[in-house]
Amino acid sequence: MSEIVLALNDLEAGYGRAALVLRGLSVTVEAGQVVCLVGPNGAGKSTVLRVASGLLAPRSGTVVLSGEDVTGLAPQDLLTRGLAHVLQGHSVFREMTVAENVLLGGFTVRDGALLARRAERVKELFPVVGERWGSIAGLLSGGQQKQVEFARALMLEPRVVLLDEPSMGLDPRTTQTVFDQIDLMRRTGVAVLLVEQNARRALETADVGCVLDLGTVHISGPARDLLADPRLGALYLGGAARG
Amino acid sequence: MTLLLQGLALGVLTGGLYALLASGLSLYFGVMRVVMVAHPAFLFLAAYLTYTLHTASGLDPLLALPVTVPLFFALGVAVQRLLVARLAPENLPMMSVLLTFGLALVIEGLLGTVYTGSYKSVSMDYATRSLTLGAVRLPYDRIVAFAVAALTLAALFTILLKSRFGRALRATIQHREAARLVGIRTERVTGYGFGVGLATAAVGGSVLALITPFFPAAHWAWIGKLMAIIVVGGLGSVLGAALAAVMLGVIESLVLVTVDATWATMMFYVFLFLTLIARPQGFFGGRLAQRF
Repeated sequence: MSEIVLALNDLEAGYGRAALVLRGLSVTVEAGQVVCLVGPNGAGKSTVLRVASGLLAPRSGTVVLSGEDVTGLAPQDLLTRGLAHVLQGHSVFREMTVAENVLLGGFTVRDGALLARRAERVKELFPVVGERWGSIAGLLSGGQQKQVEFARALMLEPRVVLLDEPSMGLDPRTTQTVFDQIDLMRRTGVAVLLVEQNARRALETADVGCVLDLGTVHISGPARDLLADPRLGALYLGGAARG
Repeated sequence: MTLLLQGLALGVLTGGLYALLASGLSLYFGVMRVVMVAHPAFLFLAAYLTYTLHTASGLDPLLALPVTVPLFFALGVAVQRLLVARLAPENLPMMSVLLTFGLALVIEGLLGTVYTGSYKSVSMDYATRSLTLGAVRLPYDRIVAFAVAALTLAALFTILLKSRFGRALRATIQHREAARLVGIRTERVTGYGFGVGLATAAVGGSVLALITPFFPAAHWAWIGKLMAIIVVGGLGSVLGAALAAVMLGVIESLVLVTVDATWATMMFYVFLFLTLIARPQGFFGGRLAQRF
């Protein structure tokens, strides 16, 4: 068994005084593994990522990153420990250039030479980032913006990346590119915790799938097995998986 | 023709001061979605401090800046941390109007108590002289005020565009959550952003003391103009605010010399309504709909 880079244990979390969104949820992600969270709207998928990256403090449970309990730490503290989070929708700094966006991914790094080397590396991983280096990020297409966000997230060479609905609003061809790049992250040794509405496509890419419902993991297992699991069809895919 | 040229020149000089003040106001809104009604009240607070330093020691208003700018920066950070940060985020623009309206009243009251309601002014010997360029006469005090405003704006833009703090501030303005996720301590940056905004009021106050007499309630005449400028420029866009300020300063001045003072002031609101009708996101960037 590979090293566990991220373990979410018995998480309970919610927004303000409202009812709990996560109810005793546990998920583990191993090094170089893509774990995919699927489930209906309101199941708590994005909330899992927000708790894991420190944007939302859990009411109970723990977040363990590379063996260290990091529950309640701020996003910047988790970032420097090797966890990056790409938000749902578009989160580029729209009025800045692609270069500024990517270099801000290394905001916590003071070594200019190191930043330049990292920037060259992400340009190799995401060629469109290099091609549009001087362009205003807000003027790029949705798929290109997503790649800028990926590049920005990889500037600190994280051990685990949280991706929230990376294919949202993208056409099928661009969606394919995005999933190819998730595969690329895995091949470079980065663990990925992926939340995705496009469940079938996500499970085809992931190593492990977790089906969430009402804030807890309902079913989990190897992603390809889940695709054929009739319980998944009944719960989420509207019976399509049964065939 | 001479009158028009004179109006144009004075308009540019006044527009420079508007640009400085509107940039500060735009910064608050960009960073925090705070409508800072008290910005001109702080401007006049700075003018009175400058007046006090001048009457006590004969200090040139511009030499008061090393005192007032750091003081107002610290005051801005304190106002943000102790007051604005406590407002409910879901109603921030509206609640900030109420809070800063209250702040403006407090400052006005304090100034009235300490300095009385009568006009004060700072008079330097160069204020009575002017530079003649052909048919146009430019008072030296206005030229100095414009130069200080322009230099401050240039420094502000350099900080915003080139410094690490500036990048963090712009990132916070453009996407606060993404900024947190790249390691920017957005709360701290927001406090410093507020401080920078108030520091521009300190510069503006010293400049204002140099060019015009003032009294404690004079700030109310400024807030409407400055709000109109930042809407025309595009809410949250510092560059847009600066450009709109110079444009409206020139228009105000031209209308002043060709029509009258009432219509000159009215032009700010005419352009405000035209902007809201034709281009609600402002003419130089910004996205009014999204930012509210």
